[in-house]
This record gives sequence, structure tokens and C-alpha cells, in this order.
Amino acid sequence: MIEIALTLPLAATTLAVEATLPDGATAVMGPSGAGKTSLLEAMAGLRPRTRGRLVVNGEVLLDGARGVRLPPERRRVGYVPQDAQLFPHLSVRQNVLFGARAPRGRVDGMLEVLELGRLLERHPGTLSGGERQRVALARALATDPRLLLLDEPLAGLDVALRERVLPYLLRLRAEWNVPTLYVTHQLGEAIVLAERVLVLAAGRVARQVPPLALLAAEAPEASAERDLENFLPGRVRTHDAAGGVTRVTLDGGGEMTVPLAREHAPGSAVTLVVRAEDVLVAVEAPHGLSARNVFAAGVADCARAGADVTLRCNLVEGSLAVLVRLTPAAVATLEIRPGVRVWLAIKSHSVRLT
Amino acid sequence: MPTGEDLGIVLLTLRVAGVATALVLVPGVLAGLGLARYRGPGRGALETLLSLPLVLPPTAIGIVLLEALSPRRSLGGWLAAHGLELVFTWRGAVLAAMVMASPLLVRSARTAFEEVDPRLVGIARTLGCSPVRAFLRVTLPLARRGILAGVVLAFSRALGEFGATIMVAGSIPGRTRTLALAIFQEHQVGADAEAFRLVGITVLLAFGALWVAEWVGRRGTHTR
Repeated sequence: MIEIALTLPLAATTLAVEATLPDGATAVMGPSGAGKTSLLEAMAGLRPRTRGRLVVNGEVLLDGARGVRLPPERRRVGYVPQDAQLFPHLSVRQNVLFGARAPRGRVDGMLEVLELGRLLERHPGTLSGGERQRVALARALATDPRLLLLDEPLAGLDVALRERVLPYLLRLRAEWNVPTLYVTHQLGEAIVLAERVLVLAAGRVARQVPPLALLAAEAPEASAERDLENFLPGRVRTHDAAGGVTRVTLDGGGEMTVPLAREHAPGSAVTLVVRAEDVLVAVEAPHGLSARNVFAAGVADCARAGADVTLRCNLVEGSLAVLVRLTPAAVATLEIRPGVRVWLAIKSHSVRLT
Repeated sequence: MPTGEDLGIVLLTLRVAGVATALVLVPGVLAGLGLARYRGPGRGALETLLSLPLVLPPTAIGIVLLEALSPRRSLGGWLAAHGLELVFTWRGAVLAAMVMASPLLVRSARTAFEEVDPRLVGIARTLGCSPVRAFLRVTLPLARRGILAGVVLAFSRALGEFGATIMVAGSIPGRTRTLALAIFQEHQVGADAEAFRLVGITVLLAFGALWVAEWVGRRGTHTR
């Protein structure tokens, strides 16, 4: 749990944020100048004029009343600024290991998943934007932080890279369980990545809501055009050439069958992309269905967005959540509401592998 | 052909300039850092004071030093009592060269430090570095080239120092007569050939210093 009660004078306004955030990921949204980046810098200890109180899982990082003010180097807060800010005089390897304190094996695993192995001897000046972001992320994670602050880590990445980094962030959440604050302008990202959204306006918390609530509040045209996609991280288990399918073990648990994709070797990390409208919902365990992938799930959240209803369903097996888009009529007929048990069916051909 | 006497002059000159540069290195870099970071009152005055040797005639600096270091004065007397004779010794030439060369190093270092993005230092702090370690691991390596340029400038300035040196240290053959002083002296006695030979040696030394700096600057510098 993160307890925030911070004030910090800014150029045009005063940042005054009070919030209590449960573990997991929190998206920080709001217009430019609302104080999103300042909030992250204040939490990292980089703004000396910050006053108030900041407690992360019982560790007091700042408490003005008790005279506690940990310097940045003792906060163990991983901060990834928007422009990565890699050290230009150091190689990728030296950047990543700059403050490393996580066990060696974990750092190696992270380098593999972020696909940094081939870049280790390069210098930041020769990297693309996406590569820089991944290096900055690895550098922060290698310190084994107790809190992770990401300032628009996917901004400036092309779609293919976004799809590669995004599931890594998801996997991070599932495996390492580092509480994360995540600044973004993309509601789609917030929905996929975060349990809740902290909306800032003029330096203050305007709202703290589940991401789907923001989707519901959007203009209908905007949400109709929004492509809601699920990004499910996993590893290739086997190829079944005769059956024409590849089986993928999901990171959170469970298995997914997809059209044969031999270009991904068994054991390699992949991301399954499924559009929210391509997921079928049943309220009874289906049988005799052609869809290969059926998962038991619980409806966690439900929001009307434009002409559709979007559901957030937690898979019973494992830790993944799946977004589903249905018509209001279907929701009414099936009596779907938060708390009910459902079965999600996904056709193999609706799954894209990246 | 250079004579044995020439060699003595060259060695003395290198010793004076080298020691002066070495002694001014750490305080000069720290002063540059201070000027780059300090934003409080008195900053302008401090900056002016540190740049004074650049704008004043060297002889003016020299006479002030000479007066302050005279054994009749408290500072000079105290130094003499502790065995540090400066007036009319090679150490005095070192001091004169230090004072005259320091602004070049301070200003180069200040510019170099100002060009280091302070946000990188902040990132280093979040990665576990104390302020001192962040300085040593990030700020200093990034400012390295600018500092090195300042060192070369300061050394070259010390190599050619004339006005302040002749006031403080005189021009005593074999003791305080550096290349710049010797060239003047030879010319004064009408030995222009000797003077030009010394000019040639000076040019070689100056080029040598530049080459060494270039070489050091490239070594350990990564792809840009």
C-alpha cells in the first residue's frame, strides 16, 4: 500500500496530492501541466521542496512531521523518466548494472525478456527510442525497487514495440509485484495495465477510479473507435503440425491454442493479442464448441462505454485479466454483472501472436 | 643546435608549468563546479574575482603577489618561517603561473559542468548513488573533455607566463629563468639567434602539450 500526502509548489500551481493506493499498478492521467511528472519526481525524492508524507508498504520515505526525509539513494524507488535519460558515457550493460542489486539471475532473465542481450555493448547514442526505453526500464528494475515510477514508458514507441514492451510490464506486475505508478495519456494502456486511475487536474487528485469508469465517461464516438486489445504474455510450449496449432502457456497460468506459428521456437516468449470484441461470453460451461480456448473467469468490473459494454474478467486459473466487449443487449440477456462466474471462449484465429 | 643550457631552461619551464598545473587542478575544478552550481548571493563577485588574472596586466598581479609574499609582510613572513621562500625562487614562478593560469581552467570546468544535464545526476541518485558518488560516476566523466581542454589551456598559459613571473621570481639563470624569460633576455642582449632557437623549442613544447591532450582525450572516449 502506498500512502501519499504531498505538497510541492510548481510554477503555475501547487501540487497537493492525497491518495491511498493499494498494491498493484496505478495509472496517473490528466492534462499536460496537471503535475503528473512532478508527482513522480517528488516521490523519487528529486524535488527538495516537497512537503508531507510518503509511505510505501510501511516504509516511511518522507514524513515532514517526524523529520524523516530519505534522500533519493535510500528510497529504493525505480524511476524511468519519459526520455529515458540514459548515461551517455556508459554502454548499455554499464547503464543497466549502474545501480544493480537484484540477484544476477533475475537481471539476466530481465535482459532476455526485454531483448537487450544483443545491445549490451552498444552506447545510448546509437539506440532507437524503444531500445532506450527498455534499457531505462531494465536499469530501474535491476535496483530491485520497492516502488516503480514510469513516466509514459510507451510514448514514442511504434505499435510493434508497444506490443512487445506492454506485456513485459504486465509480466512484471504478475511476477515481481512491484507497486507501480504509471503516467499515461492512453486510456487503453491504463485499462490494460492498471487496476485504478488517479486523475490529476491542476495539481490535485480529481478522481481515483477503476479504468473502466473512465471508459464509460468517454464520448461515445471516442470509445467506439478505440481498439481495446488484450495483451497476454506467455511462452510457446509445443507446435502440433498435424493439428495446425501452437500451444502457448500463459504467464499467469493456463494454456492458449493458436494457429501454427513455427517462427516462434518452443520456449520463446510471445505475446498473444486478442481484441476485446473477439471474446465470447457464456454463463454456463460450454461444451461441443469449436473455439479451442475456454477459460473460467469472474466478472470484476463492468462499464457502459458508448454503444457497448466493456467487462474486465479475472481468469480463475492464474492472474491474468481479460477485457471483453459486448452489446448491452447481451449483457442484459445473460444477466452479467460484477461478481458472476462466466466462461470466456476465444477462437484460435482471433489470436494474433507477436 | 640546442645546448646544455637550453635543456636546463626547458626542464625548469616544464617543471614550473607542470607543478603549477598539477597544483591548480583540483581547486580549479572544484571552483568551476562551485560556479556552475552555486546560485546564491555573491556569485557574480566570486566569478569576477576568479577571472581577475585574465583581465589585469600580469605585472599588476605580479607586484601584488610580490608585496604580499615579501618576508616583511605577515603572509610572506609566516611562509618564510615555515621554510617556504617564494620570492625569487622557482616556487615563486610556480605561484605566479598558478594565479595566471587558474582562470582558464576554472572557466573551462564551469562550462563543462554546466553542460551536464542535472537530471542525469538525479537519476544516478535514484539508482543508489550518494551525491559524491553521483559526481564521480556521472558528472565528472561527462565533464571530462571540457576539463581536459581547460588543463591544456592552463598548462600552455603557465608555459608562456612572463609578466607576473618576472615580478615575483625575477629572471635568475638556472633558477627562475624559464623559456619566456630567456627569450626576452637573449633579445635584450642582442642574441636574437639564441632567442629564435628558444622560440623554436617553445613551439615544439606547445605542440607536444596539445598532442598529449588530444591523445588522452581520445583514449577511453566512447563512440559518440
